[in-house]
Amino acid sequence: MSNKVILELNDVTKNYKKTNIIRKMNLQVKEGEFLVMLGPSGCGKSTTLRMIAGLEAPSTGEILIDGRNSEKISSFERNIAMVFQDYALYPNMTVYQNLEYSLKVHKVKKEERQKRLEAILETLNLTAYRDRLPGQLSGGQKQRVALGRGMVKQSKIFLLDEPLSNIDVQLREKARDEIQALHEKNHQTIVYVTHDQLEAMALGDRIAIINDGIIQMIDTPDNIYNHPTNLFVAQFIGTPKINTLEVTYDQGKLLFNEEVVLSNTERLRKLALASNRLCLGIRPEHVIVKKERTDLLDLPAQVETVVDYGRYQQLTLNIKGNQSIKAIITNSVFVSGDKVYFSFVAEKILLFDYENKKNLEN
Amino acid sequence: MNNRNKKNKVLTIAYLFPTALILLVFIIAPIIYTFYLSFFNWNLIAPTKDFVGLENYLSIFTDPVNRKIILNTVFYILLLLVLNFLVPYFISIIVKFFISKMQTAYKIIFFIPSLFSLVVGAMLFSWIMNPVSGPVAFFMRNLGLTLPNWTNSGAMAVVVICLITNWKVFGYNFVLLLTGLGSVPQNIIDATKMDSIPKWRMIWDIVFPLNKSIAFYVLILTIVQGLQYVFTPISVITQGGPYYGSSNALYHTYLNAFVLYKTGNASALAIVTFVIFLVLLYLEIKFVEGRTSRYE
Amino acid sequence: MKGERADMNKLKESGWHFLLIVICLVLLLPVLFMISNSFKTLQDSYHSMLQLIPTHPTFSNYLTLDKQINLFRIVWNTFFMATIVTLGKIITGLLAAYAFKYFSFKGKKFFYFAFISTIFVPFTVVMIPNFLVIFKLNLLNTALGVALPQLCDATGIMLFLKAMDKIPNSLIESVRIDDIPSYKILKDIVVPILRPNIISIGAIFFINSWNEYVWPTLILKDKNSFTLPLALQNYISSEGGTNFPLAMALSTIMIIVPLLIYLIFQRYILNSISSSGLK
Repeated sequence: MSNKVILELNDVTKNYKKTNIIRKMNLQVKEGEFLVMLGPSGCGKSTTLRMIAGLEAPSTGEILIDGRNSEKISSFERNIAMVFQDYALYPNMTVYQNLEYSLKVHKVKKEERQKRLEAILETLNLTAYRDRLPGQLSGGQKQRVALGRGMVKQSKIFLLDEPLSNIDVQLREKARDEIQALHEKNHQTIVYVTHDQLEAMALGDRIAIINDGIIQMIDTPDNIYNHPTNLFVAQFIGTPKINTLEVTYDQGKLLFNEEVVLSNTERLRKLALASNRLCLGIRPEHVIVKKERTDLLDLPAQVETVVDYGRYQQLTLNIKGNQSIKAIITNSVFVSGDKVYFSFVAEKILLFDYENKKNLEN
Repeated sequence: MNNRNKKNKVLTIAYLFPTALILLVFIIAPIIYTFYLSFFNWNLIAPTKDFVGLENYLSIFTDPVNRKIILNTVFYILLLLVLNFLVPYFISIIVKFFISKMQTAYKIIFFIPSLFSLVVGAMLFSWIMNPVSGPVAFFMRNLGLTLPNWTNSGAMAVVVICLITNWKVFGYNFVLLLTGLGSVPQNIIDATKMDSIPKWRMIWDIVFPLNKSIAFYVLILTIVQGLQYVFTPISVITQGGPYYGSSNALYHTYLNAFVLYKTGNASALAIVTFVIFLVLLYLEIKFVEGRTSRYE
Repeated sequence: MKGERADMNKLKESGWHFLLIVICLVLLLPVLFMISNSFKTLQDSYHSMLQLIPTHPTFSNYLTLDKQINLFRIVWNTFFMATIVTLGKIITGLLAAYAFKYFSFKGKKFFYFAFISTIFVPFTVVMIPNFLVIFKLNLLNTALGVALPQLCDATGIMLFLKAMDKIPNSLIESVRIDDIPSYKILKDIVVPILRPNIISIGAIFFINSWNEYVWPTLILKDKNSFTLPLALQNYISSEGGTNFPLAMALSTIMIIVPLLIYLIFQRYILNSISSSGLK
């Protein structure tokens, strides 16, 4: 990845009639970067992608590609390829013709066309299907053709709009690996839209979490998971969902239902909180569950359900105040109904402002 | 279960009976009877019919009037194809791909004339094109020209008659073709934009092939319905004249049957028309029904 | 400086809009002039033929019409005939479509194909025998004589079938499991769900029948049995001596009904027309 910014969104907004789809979006993508846009459906991620593609014009703001306003350059100069969610293959053309079409229209020489196409068919394992119509292909094959159609153009920017959402679960991982391998080989700039966080985590150099037409956070997968900027990001990423508890801060101690869950650490002192309400977030794998009370911070709970996923077990714990939290542990010895004690891994605790839900430490 | 099957059978027959009866009495049987009549000389009233074999059919190709009629019919078909198919197709492409607003408004307005009787259309055009008192003649007079009396020329009469049906059918065919264009998935069109395919190239390479079935359906409909539609303005304005110059196979059949009382000739001509329509039907099935499944 | 390309595109688009608006005018102006001229005297209509708003509007043409022909009778004939045809086509079409959609029987494909092929039968091939049948049944000069051969319609069956496609199969199956007789399914479930389709298809039937010219000219010879298109035809002279304001007044009366129907059901009607083309 170079340091050159190839794609830039400056204060981009998009309105449909009276609804605000995108509000003042700013984004910079570096050359060779793999950026994933992740968000729930209807959050505006596909609209953003379509604007980058030039299929829709922003209502205000500008999109710069290689430093030039994208509205002022032709689609040919823009040099962007895109893979559509349902592939959008030309149904009346064979696999080969689908891949060849744009090159042919733009008068790329026949030998050159053949060379590029053979290579791509080979890479994508499509050589055997070159003369089939899209209607005769499986979902995975169609997806590879769509990918190939984007690749032949050897464009600077490659946009992918939920390319894996229409193929079988079993094939999805393989397809994901293929995309990753392609990126590692070609170092193309990729903007990838998905609603699947596993896909996002696996693929992205950086992930932009979008909600309500706003980028909530844009960072590496690791930072997004461990240091989310706000509660939305924290809750959106990770399954099962992060536990959130309403806590109060009082003289160096965090109190949950009047019992201390965290006290007198360096972290708390740094925050210099006034006495008030906070949101505490703790991921289920950072909840410690044990049979006996061994520490002052251990709180009592009752196991409500145990779901065994083989590799790990997911517990639902009933705690005081008619609330429940989830915990993920390995080699569980608990059964439902057990009286247990739980505590949190102190350094993994996340603290959010009660009002604006922002991470207090970011 | 058996009882239920039996009941279903009875119901099936009961539900289909009204349609089947009317089709049988007023379409199937008449076709057979017309076919039978085409081998006789008859005047619709006389108690006896003379068997003449294939004479009525032979006369279609030998009789100079009939030959003129056949040529006229071909002329009609060509004109109808241009006016009622190619023009609406072109306009529907413009509305679909070249403008971004008011599509629905155009659709609503274009459709309006198809609500009106062709008799109204015939009256209107005989006013507009009236060589003495019509607005076109008025304008031409102001430019120092004269509008020829088109009812005196077979070819010009045919053109005006086709324009009348065009006025009526344009919106209808436009709506059908626009719907067909609408069924080309938007993301495929987007994909061509990403591939920077020029618009007309995209229409030629992607839209036409995908829209082939509906376009062909409208094309066949244009011929089959068009030839029947022109009957009304012919009957109202020219009665086939001058000297059969604006007549076609369908009007001539009517003339033979109900004005000249040459039932046999009329029947033979009707059967020939029917056979031509059947060929078109066959083509429709071959192209339309056969093609669609391939793209699934 | 919002890009020359964008300006260029805007210019092109305006050009297309200009063409499309011209088409709108070509299609509609004749009708507007027709309505306008129907309120002018014969002289005015000639001297100020392109004046859209008449300077001396007059009802004289309508009054003359009323004197010359039995206007009420003719409108009633047209309405009566169109109503019978519409109802007949809806009933037979719904029944047949239901049978094709929900019953399985031998030769279904063949029958369906046979029904649909009737669209390709030119009227000339059936008109002589049909005329003889109506004549033998002594129904010449009656609305029933006009309506009888038209009580079913292949396009109607096709449209109803397409409309039924949108009813989930599971719904009909779940009712069938309860052993509800099929005429009740039709009456209580299918018809209510398809109401918008029935209205729009019925509207199309009605308008077509209202405008029908060819078959009625063969059956209706007595002036008292005339429908509107036949009455109008009598006012158009091929020799050029047509009294246009009079003919236009009658035409104006004639187009009111289809226009009103279109105004009310425009969206449904266009949807039905659209669906008739989709396979």
